[in-house]
Amino acid sequence: MSTPLLEVRNLKTHFISRTSRVRAVDGVDFSVERGKVLGIVGESGSGKSMTSLSIMRLVPGPQGQIVDGEILLDGKNLLKLTEREMTNIRGNQIGMIFQEPMTALNPVLKIGEQIGEVLTRHRGMNKAEAKKHAVELLKNVGFPRAEQIVNEYPHQLSGGMRQRAMIAMAMACQPTLLIADEPTTALDVTIQAQVLDLMRELKNRTGTAIILITHDLGVIAEMADDMVVMYGGQVVESGSADSVFEEPLHPYTRALLESIPVIDEERERLTAIPGTVPSAANFPEGCRFADRCSLVESSCREKMPELRELRKGHSVRCTLAV
Amino acid sequence: MASYIVRRLLGLIPTLFVITVIVFLLMHAMPGNAFMALVYNPKVKDPAALIARLEAQNGLNQPLYIQYFDWLRNVFQGNLGMSQSLNEPVSQAIGQALPNTLLLAVTAEVIILLVSIPIGVLQANRANKGFDITTSFIAVLFYSIPGFVFALILLLFFSFKWNILPSTGTVTPGVSYSGSLGDHIIHLVLPAMALALPSLAYYTRLTRGNTLQVIVADFVRTAKAKGLRTPRILFRHVLRNAIIPLVTQFGFDIGGLFGGAIILEEIFTWPGMGELSINATLSHDYPLILGSTLVFAVTVLIGNLIADILLAVSDPRIRYD
Ligand SMILES: Nc1ncnc2c1ncn2[C@@H]1O[C@H](COP(=O)(O)OP(=O)(O)OP(=O)(O)O)[C@@H](O)[C@H]1O
Ligand code: SF4
Ligand SMILES: [Mg+2]
Repeated sequence: MSTPLLEVRNLKTHFISRTSRVRAVDGVDFSVERGKVLGIVGESGSGKSMTSLSIMRLVPGPQGQIVDGEILLDGKNLLKLTEREMTNIRGNQIGMIFQEPMTALNPVLKIGEQIGEVLTRHRGMNKAEAKKHAVELLKNVGFPRAEQIVNEYPHQLSGGMRQRAMIAMAMACQPTLLIADEPTTALDVTIQAQVLDLMRELKNRTGTAIILITHDLGVIAEMADDMVVMYGGQVVESGSADSVFEEPLHPYTRALLESIPVIDEERERLTAIPGTVPSAANFPEGCRFADRCSLVESSCREKMPELRELRKGHSVRCTLAV
Repeated sequence: MASYIVRRLLGLIPTLFVITVIVFLLMHAMPGNAFMALVYNPKVKDPAALIARLEAQNGLNQPLYIQYFDWLRNVFQGNLGMSQSLNEPVSQAIGQALPNTLLLAVTAEVIILLVSIPIGVLQANRANKGFDITTSFIAVLFYSIPGFVFALILLLFFSFKWNILPSTGTVTPGVSYSGSLGDHIIHLVLPAMALALPSLAYYTRLTRGNTLQVIVADFVRTAKAKGLRTPRILFRHVLRNAIIPLVTQFGFDIGGLFGGAIILEEIFTWPGMGELSINATLSHDYPLILGSTLVFAVTVLIGNLIADILLAVSDPRIRYD
């Protein structure tokens, strides 16, 4: 077995102020294999975005700080790099796309410049070469009139087109890892499917590994090779997508799977999980899911459950799981 | 765009009409006129008769509305009338003074933009750190001091104490280098600085504030995620957005800068529109007052138009058609 492309070990990212400490990411472990898709699911506030921003070392400072852990890209710890070395990784070895393609693009710069500047920065191209290459990149993500699009501004494009442009930008330097933080949440359903198809096609063509963050287990089922379920800043379950879907071991994962709306069946209703996510500023002792867990026992509240590998490559953070 | 500008320029006419009417009425509300001073001239034998003759010549014995429409008719024929105190055409007097004021104002504007924008951006980038705190303090200090006080302080040090820069006029008379480019420039330094300093502080604050708003935007995070370095992020991605409200404000302030020049021109005896209009008012020179008012009003209105055009040029989301 070769080493994974990316290994995240015991990552802790906290927001520290004089009066409080928000443990947004609190001891996260997972790895991403080369050319594979890792899906991360979890409710709002579970720390998905902060995990991905930590990998990019773009946690909003000065309050947000990576206080512990390792992030190994090709065995190299990104947390040990200088900021200047890190700028050589961003956009070059790791590309990132965000949820809101309207606000994620600069409203007053042309699409061609916004794509091209990645190439002038990392590939040493001059402006003319970069613009020419940007046209090619836009064609690769399915723009028929790419020659015009490079001269247009973001507001002239539809939401789906903007996200395609974002993908072209993030993929410009053929990164080994693409992080997509809810790339389709802001789009309507048919466009969502197109954008996901595009990402899968690009992955197959270029061998780029993808971290795909989403609320939507359906998207994970369709796209992911491996998956991580996050809750309260922690990984509560991780494994291959097949084994997790086949045999979810954590009560939270099971509840999530039950809440997928299943069409053409009797239970067509979306069963949301009762209760709310505990505040990251004030986690309870012991298991963080205890207040919402139907199986909770007194022992669950005494000690934080460890993440245990119960099946081969399939781990769970629940005292009672066997 | 071109048709928009033409429409806007036509839209200025009613405003100019109202402004000139008001000035016309105010000016005639002042006691006396340009010829009254002849009473005190010992060489004039029969001042009353002479004044009556001059008043008749210049139409001052006509009803006010006729005087106004006479003036207006002449303006539409490109004739601003004769100055009564300078004995030359008003257009000629303005033609000599306006370039000097424009030079002063444009130089001040260039200084303002070149200094305040980089400082404001750098302040915002390291908000509430040492550089920001010290320069912000200086900016607030400068902003609270009126331009003419600056003028006097600058004169005191640079002209009188250290004697390194001239204090009056646009050129040094009676020297071999008189009127050379360098000569013009050293005369421009002090008045332009005095005009620029208060606005400079204001624009630094404005740039800082705008930059602080933009710097937290999502697209800045995208720019960082692309691996761009700080100068490119600040001066391309952030500034390109932060400058939009700035250029708009700048267009509106062109008129104000022109007004600020009036007082400074007196202090530096700079032969511009300020001097011209003050002298015109003091000598009750009606055609010259109206002519210079017209120039000031057009400047303010053109400034507003420039603000709108700059906004359209700097923000691709805005379309004028
Ligand atoms: N600037 C900040 N200051 C303090 N706390 C923050 C800040 N940004 C995020 N957090 C906290 O960090 C936690 C994790 O946030 P994060 O954005 O990673 O969640 P998420 O899983 O991406 O949620 P979503 O699905 O809504 O995007 C949340 O509890 C949030 O309140
Ligand atoms: S440890 Fe206990 S409370 Fe936590 S998920 Fe397992 S059963 Fe539920
Ligand atoms: Mg998020």
